[in-house]
Amino acid sequence: MILIPTITAAATAGNPRIAPGAGTARAADLLAAAHPLAASTDLARAQTGFSLAFHICFAVFGVGLPWLLLYTEGRWIRTGDEVWYALTRTWARAFAVLFAIGAVSGTVLSFEFGLLWPAFMARYGGALGLPFTLEGFAFFFEAVWLGLYLYGWRRLPARWHWATLFPIAISGTLSTLFIVAANAWMNVPRGVREVDGQVVSAEPLAPFTTPSALPQALHMLVAALMCTGGAVAGVYAVGMLRGRRDLYHRRGLRVGLVTVLAGAPLQLVIGDWAARVVERQQPLKLAAMEGLYRTGNHAPLTLGGFYDARSGQLRYGVKVPDLLSVITGWSPGHTVQGLSAAPAGDRPNAFVVHLAFDSMVGLGSALILFSALVAVVVLRRQRAGRRPYLPTGRWWLLAAVATGPASLLAVLAGWEVTEGGRQPWIVYGRMRVSEAVTTNSGIGWAFGGTLLLYLGLATALGLILRRMATGGPTYDADAPRPPTRGPVVTTTAGNRSAAGGAPVDEPGAGGRVGRGGR
Amino acid sequence: MNAADALLLVMVGGLTAYALLAGADFGAGVWDLVATGPDAPGQRRLIAASLGPVWEANHVWLIFVIVAMFSGFPTAFGVVGGTLELPLALALVGIVLRGSAYVYRAYGGGAAGPDHWWGRVFAVASTVTPFMLGTAGAAMASGQGRPGDPFAPLRSPFGLVAGALAVAGTAFLAAVYLCRDAAAGPATAHLIDGLRRRALASAVVAGALAAALLPLLWLDAPTVADRFMTRGMPFVVVSALGGVGALVLIGRRRYGPARLAAGLAVAGVVWGWAAAQYPDLVVGQVTVRAAAAPPANINALLLAILVGMALLIPALVLLFRVFAQPEPPDDQ
Ligand code: HDD
Ligand code: HEM
Ligand code: HEM
Repeated sequence: MILIPTITAAATAGNPRIAPGAGTARAADLLAAAHPLAASTDLARAQTGFSLAFHICFAVFGVGLPWLLLYTEGRWIRTGDEVWYALTRTWARAFAVLFAIGAVSGTVLSFEFGLLWPAFMARYGGALGLPFTLEGFAFFFEAVWLGLYLYGWRRLPARWHWATLFPIAISGTLSTLFIVAANAWMNVPRGVREVDGQVVSAEPLAPFTTPSALPQALHMLVAALMCTGGAVAGVYAVGMLRGRRDLYHRRGLRVGLVTVLAGAPLQLVIGDWAARVVERQQPLKLAAMEGLYRTGNHAPLTLGGFYDARSGQLRYGVKVPDLLSVITGWSPGHTVQGLSAAPAGDRPNAFVVHLAFDSMVGLGSALILFSALVAVVVLRRQRAGRRPYLPTGRWWLLAAVATGPASLLAVLAGWEVTEGGRQPWIVYGRMRVSEAVTTNSGIGWAFGGTLLLYLGLATALGLILRRMATGGPTYDADAPRPPTRGPVVTTTAGNRSAAGGAPVDEPGAGGRVGRGGR
Repeated sequence: MNAADALLLVMVGGLTAYALLAGADFGAGVWDLVATGPDAPGQRRLIAASLGPVWEANHVWLIFVIVAMFSGFPTAFGVVGGTLELPLALALVGIVLRGSAYVYRAYGGGAAGPDHWWGRVFAVASTVTPFMLGTAGAAMASGQGRPGDPFAPLRSPFGLVAGALAVAGTAFLAAVYLCRDAAAGPATAHLIDGLRRRALASAVVAGALAAALLPLLWLDAPTVADRFMTRGMPFVVVSALGGVGALVLIGRRRYGPARLAAGLAVAGVVWGWAAAQYPDLVVGQVTVRAAAAPPANINALLLAILVGMALLIPALVLLFRVFAQPEPPDDQ
């Protein structure tokens, strides 16, 4: 986790109720190095960032996997095809483990907010209460139905078992919307009235109506689906690269790849919307994203490059004149605010934010390119009637392996943009990070402990998931029967013999004969 | 009663659910830790089978209480976070290790180290967590947590005994609940006698700890002790009757009703504490009135909780009914 040096800590440390923006940057600069609070702020931020990043790497699967399972188990129920069943069973086991880690790391977060940012929670906990409470219910719902799903294979009729995925998927999705709404409010805080640093009234619905809520939430939702799809595609692409080109692997690859590739172009549209909201509501964040120092019209857009805070220049970037003004205001004469508009102490760290933003957009663009190439191949094969439609050559598979890590990296980079670009505020324009931080000593211990604990758990988890991912499908001998009695097209044996890459891809109409057969 | 009091009542309800449901899960972990003899593998399988489908849902009651606290009483959450950081952080470590060890054992198939290691981690973490939560609760009653002195809650004899009582209480609950699960099928019936002995032993320990706690309560938390003798009394009576009743019922092999009685025994302690605590959230540091969020927010929370519970409770009932009988342990 990259830390943004905390410059304003000391200025406001003595008086936690100091009016927002009152910290004089220069004095703060001088004091920061000496003041112990600065160190504790950095540690608290590192810990928050680390725990959130850890959590999100698992939470995305909690959002995405139920939707994929809904598809694969639905196919199994309709066709009675064992391959769909084997995919479903494997993913459900992975889901169980990922969910549990998501749940415990999420619990850590809800405690950490109080342990690390007590003043923030004390002042704004009420304002954020509604989204957090709804979030709590969404988790609750998800956990209850997940218990039924994971342990109900033999106790619920197949169709009912499948149906329990709906509440799981919906509550996972809603939990994203709720939690991101809380974050959106921290970025664009609306609807609070404060007197002397005391919240006297806060509109309960404000987090949902704040302008950044909808784009941010949708962006995160699509991101979660992309990460899930990419990871799934990657697992089966690796299997195919190792020569296991059976139906099981081809289908797993297809479901995952279609998900991640369909999301990529959408993400550009939503991300563009998010950026426009940022331009209006958090101009300094936009300036940091673009590494723009000088306020003015004819603002250039720089691709790549490293921001140098001393000179206010981007080094080694490709500069396109006027483009930023054109994108944001549809005219080269449009004025864009630069970092210079704020005193040095009130600027986000443009080096990190610009780098993170370019990484996200770069990864997103690469995914869009890949998705366009795949689309071209699929269309051509479809026209020629050549199955399988998805290209499965070595390079295509290698690219498919990369989609998962690329999406996850884009998520982490995107969050660095959002959270790093908000600095030095914890609640934009209202409360500084340094006012919010705990005064406890011993955060260093807590952080070290968290790091060790999480790294240990992640290693163990990695080993378990690798075991689940490698190898072919496992067909339980005593699998519960699907409600279909029709001809089962793919058998275990047929599946194995298809290892050479036989072109049969779908059970086609034959698999559906027995639909609703009971 | 105003909106803040209503929210507080809801939180006590959530805490009770956590104590009774997740508490029993923790207690099962305690028994997993001390399982010995030729029956030990059988005991562990029974424990795993009865936890599987429900522990995740049971655990969320804690999140519900935490979220309600920081949304409804944000100042108090700030105070708790700034004074009880050590017991809470250790409880967290326990929660994290327990949850992950549980799924690693259930799904890992040995890929990340032998299953019985994870079993041990699960069991130790299940013991540490209720202890730390009990200590934290005691510090809210005594007001002994101080900013800048993270060890204060762990140095207080009152806090330590309260933590031990929490562990004994969860172990008692778990033993009683497990009796019923073991009685559900012939494959596990031979475990019942051991579980009955455990229920009896933990009830005796819990009773002794409760008796030891009373003088300490007077010494370390006089404010709460005063209120405890008046307002708390009815709940103490409920608790004592529940405890004795549970033992009698277990003696007569009526495990279903024994569950209910054991639940009352634990709930009575929670309620007695809550009643004696009011209107302080952390004694000497923050009260309900001072901590409450603006009324509009609390009303919105109450509404959200009402709607949420209306959706949730049927789902919970379904979950518990579908899994009322534990699966035969060999068939996961
Ligand atoms: C698969 C992941 C992924 C991909 C491919 C992209 N993003 Fe993104 N982006 C995220 C994942 C993400 C995220 C992690 O989900 C963030 C962090 C906070 C949020 O709401 O979404 C985010 C934030 C975020 C923000 C900041 C919003 C704020 O602070 O309010 C902007 C401006 C963009 N994105 C813009 C883009 C653009 C123009 C993309 C073009 C391809 C793009 N993103 C691709
Ligand atoms: C509701 C959602 C979220 C809330 C309320 C929230 C809140 C916070 C808080 C309180 C901090 C510390 C103060 C600060 O440095 O600004 C922080 C920092 C951070 N958060 Fe978030 N966060 C949320 C979502 C996320 C997510 C999902 C991620 C993804 C990984 C994330 C990544 C980070 C990072 C990287 C930092 C450190 C920022 C820095 O280095 O300056 N946040 N967030
Ligand atoms: C500040 C940020 C966050 C906090 C405080 C938080 C809190 C929590 C908590 C307490 C849980 C455990 C629930 C349970 O036991 O079932 C959890 C799980 C979960 N969280 Fe987060 N969360 C945060 C950020 C996010 C974000 C940004 C997402 C969006 C993708 C997310 C998605 C989930 C999901 C889907 C789960 C269910 C567990 C799983 O499926 O793995 N969380 N979170």
